[in-house]
Amino acid sequence: MTRKDKALRLARTGQIVTGAALVALAGIYIRALVFTPVDRLQGPAQKILYVHAPAAVSALTAFAICGILSIVYLGLRDRRLDRAAASSAEVGVALSVAMLISGPLWGKPVWGTWWAWDARLTSTLFIFLLFVGYLIMRDSVVDPDQRARFSAVIGIMGLVLVPFIHVTVYMFRTLHPDPTLLKPSAPSMPGVMLVTLLSSFGVFFMVYVSFVIQRYALADLQELRDEEMLRDS
Amino acid sequence: MTPDNGGYMVAAYIVVAVVTVVYAVSLAWRVRKLK
Amino acid sequence: MRDYVRAVWAIIAKDATVEWRTKTAFSSALVFAILVLSILYFARDRTAVSDLAVAPGALWVTFTFAAMVVLNRAFLLERENNAMEGLLLTPVPRTAIFVGKMGGNLLFVALVELVSVPLFVLFYNVSLTARLPQLILVTAMATVAFVAVGTLLSAMVVRTRFAELMLPVLLLPFLIPPVVGAVQVTVLILAGRPLSDGMGWLKLLAAFDIAFVTLAVLLFEATLDE
Repeated sequence: MTRKDKALRLARTGQIVTGAALVALAGIYIRALVFTPVDRLQGPAQKILYVHAPAAVSALTAFAICGILSIVYLGLRDRRLDRAAASSAEVGVALSVAMLISGPLWGKPVWGTWWAWDARLTSTLFIFLLFVGYLIMRDSVVDPDQRARFSAVIGIMGLVLVPFIHVTVYMFRTLHPDPTLLKPSAPSMPGVMLVTLLSSFGVFFMVYVSFVIQRYALADLQELRDEEMLRDS
Repeated sequence: MTPDNGGYMVAAYIVVAVVTVVYAVSLAWRVRKLK
Repeated sequence: MRDYVRAVWAIIAKDATVEWRTKTAFSSALVFAILVLSILYFARDRTAVSDLAVAPGALWVTFTFAAMVVLNRAFLLERENNAMEGLLLTPVPRTAIFVGKMGGNLLFVALVELVSVPLFVLFYNVSLTARLPQLILVTAMATVAFVAVGTLLSAMVVRTRFAELMLPVLLLPFLIPPVVGAVQVTVLILAGRPLSDGMGWLKLLAAFDIAFVTLAVLLFEATLDE
């Protein structure tokens, strides 16, 4: 089987798993919207938690995995690691868009404000921006080897940056505490809500994995096409 | 009294579904272009 | 060790000489500084926001923008004359090239900062003479932070298509910890409070400097084609 055939096969597998994941996501939607009770204090908007938090966790995991794969790439110089890192980054950006829009939609009714410069939100926003820059940069570098090295550098720096942003904003906040924000009651969550939340985490992770498989296959096909074009010219 | 903020919930659920589906479709479409 | 330092110094001296002849980066940065300081002075309701309240932010936006201008120029010069290739052919160790570049950038940014401070004192009517050493300390710490990251990023970005756009986009997230920390300490300084009140921020700045200068020096090699 040629490399192209393998890539197409992988893409197909990814599409099938994505299909299954999206069906599971529909299941989560039904469970969350119909079969999970409404929070008396926060109202129906509280249910945004079941899609926002899993999207957020998956996005951040995607970026962390990108950072780790970047470190390994710099050591082993296997371009497959670069393709995997970049795939994880792009999927992370997509999930971040879901996270960054659903977040304020939850914040406005529950906190009274669209945005709050707290440690978590700010960190996620800036990691998102960093990886958008990462993707733009990848687009502007033609040589695959150079692209891989540059991406690894940014990925690693991003990984080290995250805790710093978190600490910075945390310190800023303890200095200037905002009026009490209604925090979602995560620890004291009734069982049925917890099950919805945890299953949603699982499903979103499945969505993440299936997307990365497809994206990796796509990256493989793209590099193949670039090599072909180079040979033909 | 439970606040009446269901609109936000609906909006958020739609956004997440749209983003997820659109990205899934974009992946499949980009692969197809390279077949 | 002596050779290493000599190599670093040679690179700084070379950049300084070239820049001295044209003075473009320095003058652009200076113009930017005046622009930013003036606009931020006027862009508020004077009855609601005092000079002292606007001042720290204005100062640090100025410093950051100035740094951006300097960084953009840094590797552009190399690229224009393919000078980097020549540099790489010499027996100078790679890390020395980076440290030299970073040193040169630090020098230029420090120069712009030096000239901006009197303007700042003038426009915002702050009293700095007693607290100057403290302001210098926090400025140095924050400047090292963004110059280290900025030098590394510009080494990569200068070879891409949209270099002038890419640098600020990539650099922005890395500016948050040092700039927020520096502004918070500047607030203390201008308010006449002891530096020990901002110990947490200073530790943050120090940790960031150590982490990212080390990282930048280590990662520079990976940005070079072999």
